[in-house]
Amino acid sequence: MGDNHQQEWNLLLPLLPALLIVPILAALGVEPLDLGFAAILAPFLMFPIVLLVGQIWNGNEVWVGKLKEGGILALASLAISLTAALWMIVHFLGLHEKKVHGDSITWLNFDVLSHDGTQWSVDAGFTNISFGIWLDSVSIMLLFVATFLCFLICWFAIGYMTTDDINSNRNHRFFAEFILFSMGMFGMVLADSFLWLFIFWEIMGLCSYLLIGFYYWKESAAAAAKKAFMTTRVGDVFLMVGLLMLYDIYGSLDFAVVFDDPSTGVGGTIVEASRLQPALLMLFIGCVGKSAQFPLHVWLPDAMEGPTPVSALIHAATMVNAGLYLVARMVPFVDVYHHGVPGMEELGLIVAWIGGITAFMAASIAFVQNDIKKVLAYSTMSQLAYIFLGLGSALYLLAADHHHAGYFVLGGALFHLFNHAMAKGMLFMASGSVIHEVHHAHHDLHHHGHHDDHHEEFDPQDMRNMGGLASKMPVTSIAMMLGSMSIIGIPLVGGFWSKEAIIAETWLGALEYEPLLLGPAILAVMTAGMTGFYMTRMWMMTFAGQPKHEAAANVHESTQWIKTPLITLSIVTATTGALLASMHVGEFLSGEEAGFHLGVVDALKHTFLPEKQALRVVGYTTIALSSLVGPIIAMKVHGGKLAEGESANRTVAWLVDLSSAFRPMDVSGMANSRLAESLQNRLHFDDLYEWAISKTITPMSAFSAWFDANVIDGIVKLIERTSVSGSMWIRTYTTGSTRDYILMAAIGALSIFALIVGVSQ
Amino acid sequence: MTFTDPLSIITLVPLLSGLLLLILPNILPEHISQRMQSSVRNVAIGLSTAIFALTTLIFLGTIGQIDWLSIGMGSFVLETEDPVWLIESIGVTWHLGADALSFPMIWLTTLLIPISMLVQWDVESSHRFHALLLVMEGALVGVFVSLDLFVFYVFWELTLVPMFFLIMIWGGEDRKYASMKFFIYTFTASVLMLVGILVMYFNTADSMFSGSLTGHHFNLVEMTEQARVGGLIASEGLRHLVWLLLLIGFATKMPSVPVHTWLPDAHVQAPTAGSMLLAGVMLKMGAYGFLRVAVAIFPESTLTFVPLLVFLGMASLVYGAVVCLGQTNLKRMVAYSSVSHMGLIFLGIATMQPIGFAGALFMMFAHGIISPLLFAVAGSFKHHYHTLEIGSMRGIAHHSPFLAGHMMLGWMGSLGLPLLAGFVAEVAIMIAFWMTFGWWVLLPAVTLIFTALYYLTSMQKIIFESNDPHQGILPDTLHGEDPRDVTWHENIGMFILGALTILFGIMPFIFWDMMSVWSTEFIETYLIHAMNALEAMP
Repeated sequence: MGDNHQQEWNLLLPLLPALLIVPILAALGVEPLDLGFAAILAPFLMFPIVLLVGQIWNGNEVWVGKLKEGGILALASLAISLTAALWMIVHFLGLHEKKVHGDSITWLNFDVLSHDGTQWSVDAGFTNISFGIWLDSVSIMLLFVATFLCFLICWFAIGYMTTDDINSNRNHRFFAEFILFSMGMFGMVLADSFLWLFIFWEIMGLCSYLLIGFYYWKESAAAAAKKAFMTTRVGDVFLMVGLLMLYDIYGSLDFAVVFDDPSTGVGGTIVEASRLQPALLMLFIGCVGKSAQFPLHVWLPDAMEGPTPVSALIHAATMVNAGLYLVARMVPFVDVYHHGVPGMEELGLIVAWIGGITAFMAASIAFVQNDIKKVLAYSTMSQLAYIFLGLGSALYLLAADHHHAGYFVLGGALFHLFNHAMAKGMLFMASGSVIHEVHHAHHDLHHHGHHDDHHEEFDPQDMRNMGGLASKMPVTSIAMMLGSMSIIGIPLVGGFWSKEAIIAETWLGALEYEPLLLGPAILAVMTAGMTGFYMTRMWMMTFAGQPKHEAAANVHESTQWIKTPLITLSIVTATTGALLASMHVGEFLSGEEAGFHLGVVDALKHTFLPEKQALRVVGYTTIALSSLVGPIIAMKVHGGKLAEGESANRTVAWLVDLSSAFRPMDVSGMANSRLAESLQNRLHFDDLYEWAISKTITPMSAFSAWFDANVIDGIVKLIERTSVSGSMWIRTYTTGSTRDYILMAAIGALSIFALIVGVSQ
Repeated sequence: MTFTDPLSIITLVPLLSGLLLLILPNILPEHISQRMQSSVRNVAIGLSTAIFALTTLIFLGTIGQIDWLSIGMGSFVLETEDPVWLIESIGVTWHLGADALSFPMIWLTTLLIPISMLVQWDVESSHRFHALLLVMEGALVGVFVSLDLFVFYVFWELTLVPMFFLIMIWGGEDRKYASMKFFIYTFTASVLMLVGILVMYFNTADSMFSGSLTGHHFNLVEMTEQARVGGLIASEGLRHLVWLLLLIGFATKMPSVPVHTWLPDAHVQAPTAGSMLLAGVMLKMGAYGFLRVAVAIFPESTLTFVPLLVFLGMASLVYGAVVCLGQTNLKRMVAYSSVSHMGLIFLGIATMQPIGFAGALFMMFAHGIISPLLFAVAGSFKHHYHTLEIGSMRGIAHHSPFLAGHMMLGWMGSLGLPLLAGFVAEVAIMIAFWMTFGWWVLLPAVTLIFTALYYLTSMQKIIFESNDPHQGILPDTLHGEDPRDVTWHENIGMFILGALTILFGIMPFIFWDMMSVWSTEFIETYLIHAMNALEAMP
């Protein structure tokens, strides 16, 4: 094994030249902002290469052995993107500006016919659609998240995908689609107009479709892929309508034009909230679809049909963040402190309510999931909902001109996006590591003999087949623990800082300004406790207690390909949350500050000793629920000692010991209740939608097909038959008599003459 | 020299050489014609590729030094100087020209002919098939270049002949019925159009064309100019009538609901190359003629009938998409999707916005690339699996990865995925539609969901979902043969179309810019007066 690893590291040598490309470009005098094009183009150009070379050299020794079926090439292209992104970020931070806009390339030119009250006239050269690079504090954060995580997940995928027989000779397709997906996210983050944002947004939709359906032969995967594309498509269509409306208002979709002064529309007109708010709500429907929020959330759990790296990609690095990013982009419209359009408080309230409802709903469904990836999927949904809640509160507070609180919660929400992305990326990769090893252990156990029929029944993702893995997979268990802590919001770890900020400011808004925010605020606190339960439950079921299946008793730690990203992200999660919080990253992200400034004391004070008494109560209640009550109940139900003779790494051993210290609790009664069953069925949303479609679209299309073939074409056929019998009738006038023919010719000539004379007058 | 200008060459060389290649084997001695037959397809594809190269050179400006962005409205490039009398006594001239409306269509035609030849490279009795495709090329280009309505009409009807034989001889099981239906249906509609053209003819002034015995002429440029300056037909009622007659002819060709039912039958029975040309170019003749003749000459009637246009467009778009959902035959589904997409063209025109017109023009072009790809995929599917039933063959991603890839790209292009050609057209039409009709845009928007639904459902049942990754469900029609992937020539043809779909999706400005300029000028020249006049009316 040791030699093997030595060889594997050699495979990374092609990365070195890739890492040098960006510094060389910069040395050649390429503007730092133009490096954004390199970040987009590198994966975009690599996509057809990997796809076609992989198809043509399928199974070739060099291709499989040295290039990992294109994985190395994909990683190299993502390395270019990562270095370009880092270069741009450093450049941006050095500028101390709130936003930077590069030169744009004209894409489409067109004119518009406008009406000035009396006359129509052409505004020649009216507008154009162009493409350029736009950087501000939100986009650099997302750019870092996307490039960094895509790179790490690709690294992980090389280890995960290429070691499974079922994938061999297909991985080129995986890596090609993977980098196209990454390209979509990079492009969306860097684009300087809403239209290009939408274009890359849709590219991501396509790639999610292809990757979720990667195991194309599985019926469930094919259905899940279609469901994901269709559900997001519903949102996207509304998003597109929203873009048309925005375009009509501002005469452009460029950020530079729109955000210059959102209260002034095309030709200096004053923008009315009654026109802008519907447009933004349409955009928001698109975000709801893409970020899997209620009621367009049904696709996300099914999306787990894709390979695990895809889940990590969709849930952490790319797709679901797109919706959040677009909502964050709506801030300048409502920010009345900076030329926003007054009178748009409702938008923020709707966003906050959708967030609150989704957070609670997803967390409650996560209670009963036994599939490790499904738990994480619902957790994603729930955490994204927190971010929506924060953004919604921010939109409300800014629209109501409470800009200090508004900026604070906006920064908190975006910071939560960062923390969640890092933690969730790691959690998915850790779960992938577990699934991979359990699957292989099971495969090895049944390798001799009758492995075929067994193979189908065993589900390596089911946590009821796991247990006691803490001793066998130290790195994975530590990573999973840190990730869960960050998601739960254990004080001082990662997501804690941002979640606290969201909850506190939503409460502040609810108590001081708008009682309607109280609903989401209460839901947010309850969800925090539930998060503590289901994340702890997942860890306990997987890593603590006795192995519940012989496969779980025989697993080993994963290879370097899988461990490296886990270790990297563990360090990030454990340290950067607190570090960045103390650097006031929230203020930076919300655009209030153009740079970081350090203030550890400030950060701690704001979090633990807020000035308002009510917020202290809320804050400590949240901490108690999420860090004590939820986890303790989960430990009581699912915790337990490891098997005899097994011992875990000290970093996680305390947790296992702690869990076995509590008296076990029996919940089988609750687990069989009607509510639990309903939660198992995802609260019947899928059933409802399927029923609705089967009652409307299916019969309508069948009827239309029948109508077209029988009624419309039937009329044509009727005319045809009538004319045939008509000509039979006319045939009776072919008497053979010359006199009759002359008469008819004369009549005909006369009528033609009359017709011609008539029309030419 | 007459007939030696580039446009005449593009039209006449394929037409005449195609006819020659058709006739020669029948009149030459048998041993010569036997040897000739096998090389006919090489000659045909060589010739059509050369024609394509010539057209591309015209576009690049190498021939004629044309700046496509500065063509004034009503003036054409590569116009034949001093039009030649063809039938002097009734005022028919050989008058050709191109502008931003027709040129992309000409380029598309010359592109699709060699590709469709390539896709059906190994067709039975290829010497007749490929020669007919050459005749087809001449007729199709003739429609787009002729500026004389008589010649236009002749070419318009001439396109029916090779297509009729293509369906009749190389079609599917029900080919006789389909070819007759196709011919009679579209012929009847064009006869009504002819009546409209004749009425226009008898209203032309004879200032320029003294040679004509009737005192009238068919020159389209003159007619349009006469209509713009003083109105071609005095009576408003007659104007509307003529406009409606023209609409019947053009709408049937497009085709628009409710005169679309010839299309599915023709497509399902037609050979692949026939379907590709039918969907790629022939349908666009309707939209082209509508803009060139009906809208340009009768702007007031067009404005009066905007509600009708919206209705027809919307009906085609929405109804076509819903009917697609109910189809079980792959080619039928693709055919109805053409009906649906053609509806967008009417909607784009009905907006009376430059961006809407440009969107409609770009839709004509984009659909002209994408739909041949769809039909090539469907034809290849039929060719290799001997069935067109959706769901009878599953998991072709395993058996025919290239076919699955082309299908995925084509389907995605057709459902309007960004960075593929169809998206630009769709988004432009939608922007214009919102500007003019407001919330009605939700109807076409919701149709986009239906479009995605039928394409995804068919892909799920064809590309995905085989129960065993190593076998899949094989249809009975294979009769135990091993499933195959596309042949090399099908693959090349589809690769070219796919690459162009991506190219024009990323760089739409190649043709968009000239279309956009053309649209603005067209509206300024012909429509804006009528719009203001209509506004001024009480």
